[in-house]
Parts: sequence; C-alpha cells; structure tokens
Amino acid sequence: MKTAEEIFTALEEKFGAKRETLDKWGVTAIVSTGYLRNVVQFLKDDADVKLDMLVDIAGIDYLTYPNHEGPRFAVSYSFKSIANPGLRFRLKVLVSENSLKVPTLCGLYANANWYEREVYDQFGIVFDGHPDLRRLLNHVEFVGHPLRKDYPAQKRQWLSTNDYLLPALEKRLEDLGYKVVQRSKEVGTNDNEFLEGSIKE
Amino acid sequence: MTAEAEKPNIITSSLDFIVNWGRTNSLWPFPYGTACCAIEFMSTEVGRYDLSRIGSEYVRFTPRQSDVLLVAGTITYKQAPILKRIYEQMAEPRWVIAMGACACSGGFYDCYCTVPGIDHIIPVDVYIGGCPSRPEAFFDAMFDLQKKIKDESYMKQRAERVKEQLEMIKAKTAEAKANAQEFAQEKVAEFKGFVKEKEQNLVKKAQFWKE
Amino acid sequence: MIVLDKNGEKLNLMPLNVGPSHPATHGCLRFMAAMDGETIVASVEEIGYLHRGFEKMVERGTWQQVIPYTDRLNYCSAIMNNIAFCRAVEKMFGVEITERAKVLRVIVNELSRINDHFVCVAAAFQDLGGTTPFMYAFNPREEIMCIWEKLTGARLTNSYARIGGLYRDSYEGFEADVLAALDSTEKALKDLHACLDRNRIFLDRTVGIGKISAEKAISYGWTGPCLRACGVASDLRKDEPYYDYETYDWEVVVGTQGDCNDRLQVRLAEIEESVKIVRQALLRLTPGPVDIVDPRIRVPAHKLAYQDMEGLIGRFKSVYEGVRVPEGEYYCGSECANGELGFTIVSDGSGHPYRIKVRPPCLTQFAAFHDLVEGGQLADSMAVLSGLNIIAGELDR
Repeated sequence: MKTAEEIFTALEEKFGAKRETLDKWGVTAIVSTGYLRNVVQFLKDDADVKLDMLVDIAGIDYLTYPNHEGPRFAVSYSFKSIANPGLRFRLKVLVSENSLKVPTLCGLYANANWYEREVYDQFGIVFDGHPDLRRLLNHVEFVGHPLRKDYPAQKRQWLSTNDYLLPALEKRLEDLGYKVVQRSKEVGTNDNEFLEGSIKE
Repeated sequence: MTAEAEKPNIITSSLDFIVNWGRTNSLWPFPYGTACCAIEFMSTEVGRYDLSRIGSEYVRFTPRQSDVLLVAGTITYKQAPILKRIYEQMAEPRWVIAMGACACSGGFYDCYCTVPGIDHIIPVDVYIGGCPSRPEAFFDAMFDLQKKIKDESYMKQRAERVKEQLEMIKAKTAEAKANAQEFAQEKVAEFKGFVKEKEQNLVKKAQFWKE
Repeated sequence: MIVLDKNGEKLNLMPLNVGPSHPATHGCLRFMAAMDGETIVASVEEIGYLHRGFEKMVERGTWQQVIPYTDRLNYCSAIMNNIAFCRAVEKMFGVEITERAKVLRVIVNELSRINDHFVCVAAAFQDLGGTTPFMYAFNPREEIMCIWEKLTGARLTNSYARIGGLYRDSYEGFEADVLAALDSTEKALKDLHACLDRNRIFLDRTVGIGKISAEKAISYGWTGPCLRACGVASDLRKDEPYYDYETYDWEVVVGTQGDCNDRLQVRLAEIEESVKIVRQALLRLTPGPVDIVDPRIRVPAHKLAYQDMEGLIGRFKSVYEGVRVPEGEYYCGSECANGELGFTIVSDGSGHPYRIKVRPPCLTQFAAFHDLVEGGQLADSMAVLSGLNIIAGELDR
C-alpha cells in the first residue's frame, strides 16, 4: 500500500499534479479539470491506492483571500481509504470565474451527486455531466449563490410556495426503467394564492 | 340579540367558565419541531418533567386535532410556506407558542436563509426565550397560555362571529335584492322593446297586405 | 400518474408526499414516493428545510465564536461537535492539549455518544409505536443532562470545549455523578434489551428492512454506526487514534446484515463500549491543568487578567481579534455519534475563519435513502428513517 506522499509522486508523474503548499498538515494535489476524472478513477481503482470513499467536496471562493493569485474558485475533494485505514488524500481543482465548469464524479462515487449539487447551490460551479443538477439546500426561487464572498449575508429571499418534487420523481422513475405515460398534478401547487398574499408582505 | 349576548350574565359567564376550563386543561400540542428545541420538547414529554400533568397528554401530529401549534426550532424560508399552511389548517380555537430564540427572532442565525421570527408569518401568543428553552421555561409558557385562555370569553367571541355573519348576510341580501331589481328592470325593458318590435312588424305586415 | 414498466405493463402509481412535518421525519426531511398500493416504487428526497447558513455565519465571527454554532450541528451530542472542531483547529496550531483535558474530553465525548444513541434508539421505538422504551432511554439521558448542567451550565447546547483546552475544569463530585449515570445507563440498557431483543413486532418490522451492502455503503460515503452495521470495522478512534483512544480497552462493534435492526443493535452495543471507556477514563483522571498556557491560543484565566498586565492584553486580544490560526487549508475528521464529522478549514491567518466546510455524516446516509426504501412498504420507510438517525441540524447545517 502506498502512503499519501507516494500517491502524490505517482500523480505528479502521471498527470502532472502540483502540490498545494497551503495544506501543511496533509497531502493535497492540484490537478487540472481535464484530468480530474482520470485521476479519481486511478485513485479509486489502483490496487496500491484504493481510496474507496469520497469523504467530502468543498467549494472555496478566494475573492477576498489576501495575496491570492490565480482562479477565483476552487473545489476540494477529500478521500479516505477503508481498505487501508488511516490513509487520506485531498485533491483540488481550480476553477476560473469565466468557465465555472468541473467534470462530475457521479458514477464513480454514489455520494458525489448530492455533494456536487450542494457546491452548485452555494457557489454556482457547474458540474459537467451531472445527471440532475438542482439546488440542494436553498429553495427553488433563490437567486444567486450565497456562499460566494460577494453575496451579502443578510440578503433574504422569500419563498412563496413549496418546492415541486414531481419532475424529480418522474426522472427517478425513468432511471429505474419505467416510462411515464400520464403525468399527475401535485395537489396544492396551484392554489398558492392564500400563501402568496400573506407570506410576501 | 347581539347586544344581549355581549353583556355578561349568569348563563354566559358560567358557560364561559366551563368552556375555558375544558380548553385550558386539554391543550393538545402540535410539535412543529425542527431543531434543537424539539429535543428539549422530547425531554419535557418524558419522565422527569412530564407534560401530561397539565393535560397536554396527547401530542398530535396533525393540525386538525391539535389546539396549540408549538414551533420549536429555526424556521427557514424553505420551511415558511409549510408552517403557514399548517397554521391555516388548524381549527379554531388555536394558539401558537414560539419556543426558543430561533422561533422568536431568528436567534443568532441572522442569515440569508432564516426567517427572523415566526411572527413574520403567523400570529404568536406566547414567546419563550432560551437557546434552547429549558423544560421549566416551556411549562411556564404553558401556564401563561392557560391564563390567557381563561381570560377569553367564548360567548363574546361567538357573539362577534354571529354579528359578523349577520352583517355579511344582510349585505349579501341587499346586494342580491339590488341585483334582482336591476335584472328585472333590464328584462322589462327588453320585453318592452320586443313587444314594440312585434307591433311594428305587425303594422308593416298589415300595410303590406293592404297594399 | 400512469407509467409503463419494463415489460410494458401499465401501472397506476400514486405520488405521495411525506414530510417535512411528519412525526417520523424528525423535523425537516421530506421525500416523495411513487406508490403502487403499499409498495414504494421510486422515491426522491428533498433536504434543506433547516439550512441555517452555518458556513456563512461562521465567516463573520472569530474562531472562538464558531464553537456555539457547532453545538447546533448535531444537537443530540453537542459537546462532540465542539471537540471535533477544536481538535481540527488545534491540529492546525500544532499544539497538544494537556493530559487532564484529554481524559476529560474522552469522558464527555463518550457520555455524549451515549446520549445521542439513546435518543436515536428511543425515537426509533417511538416511530414504530413503542412508548415504553422511550421512557426507559430518557432516564439516564436526563441524568447525563444534569451532569452537563453542573459542568457547563447548559442542558443541550453546551459549548464546553475551547481551542486549547476546556471551558472549565470538572466540578467536585463529578466522578461520582458520572458513575451514577453509568449505572443507570446500564440498567436502562438491560431494560431496552428486554424490550427489544425478543419483541416479535419490533423484529418483524426491522429485521431485513432497509438492507444495504458494504460496497454500496462505502460508495455512498457512510461512516459511523451505520457503516459498521454493514460489517465494516471502520472507526476513526481506532484507525486514526486521537486522545489515546487506542490505549483504552474497547472494541469496534460490527453488525452482520446491514439492516435496520443491526443499525439499532450496533448503537446499543456501542453504548456498552462507551460505558467501558468512561469507566477506564475516570481512573486515569489525575489532577492538573486543563488549558494550555499560551495566550495566543487559549485565553488566560480570569485571575491573571485582573492581576497581570500580559494576562489582560492576552485576554483582550484573543477576545476582540480572535486567535490567529496559521494560514492554510486542512481537513480533519473526528468520530462522532453518527459517523465522521469533518471540517475543511481554510484560514487566511487572521482572527476570522475564511471558510469552514462541514462534512456532515447524516448527509451521505440520507443520500442513500431511496436505495433503502425502494421496493419496500411505506411503513418500513419510517423504520429505515429512524434507524439512520438523521439529525437535521447537521444534515442541512
């Protein structure tokens, strides 16, 4: 089994990964967005590495970070190994404000789906190839991305009616191999007059 | 009739007393528990504190069967329409307790996603401070609510409601009458026009045949 | 809605909304199920009903002001979250806390774990219709709450840990109180096992319900008791030991089936292990300081602030400016009651956190919910939900 340092040297040779100097306590490799899926595939499947659990995906906005150079956003992935207890590794991709695109990890790890939805919700980073990129924590009528540094913390946004889950349910049915012939209306989404008048005041 | 009902007399005041006695001692709460305060509410229910001592034996999770809406925890903007709807589904008489700092004012979550106090959405009868409120504080709030209920007059509320209804009925009848009259006048005018036309036609026909 | 299944057969499904205000959804979970009779064909989940903006709020305060916010992540075991956060920051500082603080942290950690697991098991019973175990489980819980009151001044949201130490030392008679609480914990465990182990209704409703394989659970990123119920002996207290957990005599509890019953049984067994750890830790509790002596990290004691110039300056600086955590990025996870609670911390070297991302253990477990309930009955989904122990404060942050 390889240690985190050895994994990093392997990544350096194979994919031209760079060391993140900010992480002084663990090992973090910066990879380019183009290689991300290949790198993760390697980390997950290589017999000597076996980082089989995606622990966390965190978005970072470097807008007000002192003396920061380079792209504004970053997405950081934390992995750990169940097969080799104690092994941890972090990956980071830098995302510029113009592109805002990162390849998705859906299909490699099952929990990447929700983590990526959260990063999309909070930072507006779009994950290419994600099957169902919707907001996760904020409501459907929310405009903007709250964890960006330029979003004022107290800018509140009211929701007039409850979220609509039927399209997601239909999508899930289609994923399971069913074919929706006739759609049904969700009760209560149309009669929101009594809610709208009172709640938006 | 309404003026008589508003005056306290021996029947109405004793009826009030009985109704209020029943209401104060069987307050069934609807625990709308979202966060930490709900855990403290659980502690209030069991063993040491025992909420059933004051008649709130049944915790009801349906708004149709409960009297007190107990909002325990932070209400976010995503949650707000649901809380509003649940409040509107509850049958009268209904009371609301805002338990904990978050429900009262948003607490220390002064943020893009939290409602700064549930009184932005629904009326509140009793506020409890604390983050989370202790079970003792919750009991205190229940006693306050009971006091408040004891001061309410069932007959007065009913008289007011009847008054409103009577006024509404009166207004509606007046409106209907006016509508009916208008309608009748219109019809009469229409009919008159119709008769006139017929007459003219007859005259024309008669002239034609004459010729 | 009418759908065609794989064989082209027509099915009339009813979309059914459950939650967020449902007695078994513990506050703020919502899922929508497509029902074929009583069977769930497909399900989608929706979260965010308790999204309180933890990550935005903490950026506005100092490092110490994060601690009360961490209380409200998993509010069933608040102290554990404090300790997990403080441990992450202490690692960034590169300091070792004192011996007494370590042992005290282990004790309060494990007592919190007992508390949390009791809530989970009690609520699971309550959701399945059993009221008695709820009362049994809450008795020792109340006793532990009393210890918290004496120790920290609060019942639920304690804010006990501090960066570089603890809020205060234990009080006189702490050991006796803890021992008494442990005794009643053991008694409650006995009662719970009597209720649970051979209860036909309970077994029918939990055995074989909500099964998940170990591979799938790992792929979903499950940690903690839920992963251990699938038969994976993964526990950060053993894998990446901290606070000398490896020197205590205890075992990682592992399930076999990965079903709902296993998840609850693992929790009950973990309570037993925690009792073992606390008993050993009480023996190791030796007098000594609980705070490290470094005015840049831990606020000097009140006494020093009133008598000593440097103490006053230290106190003033650390309260108004916050401790200055070294610049950098770090991920640190600790084993909490529900699994690995991790903090991805980005510090720019100032007194305020630049970014803190919480890795909630519940999120990964709830993300797998549709896999657990599809094909089962609607009533089973409640058993599954309560077995997972989703805490909304942590799930939505």
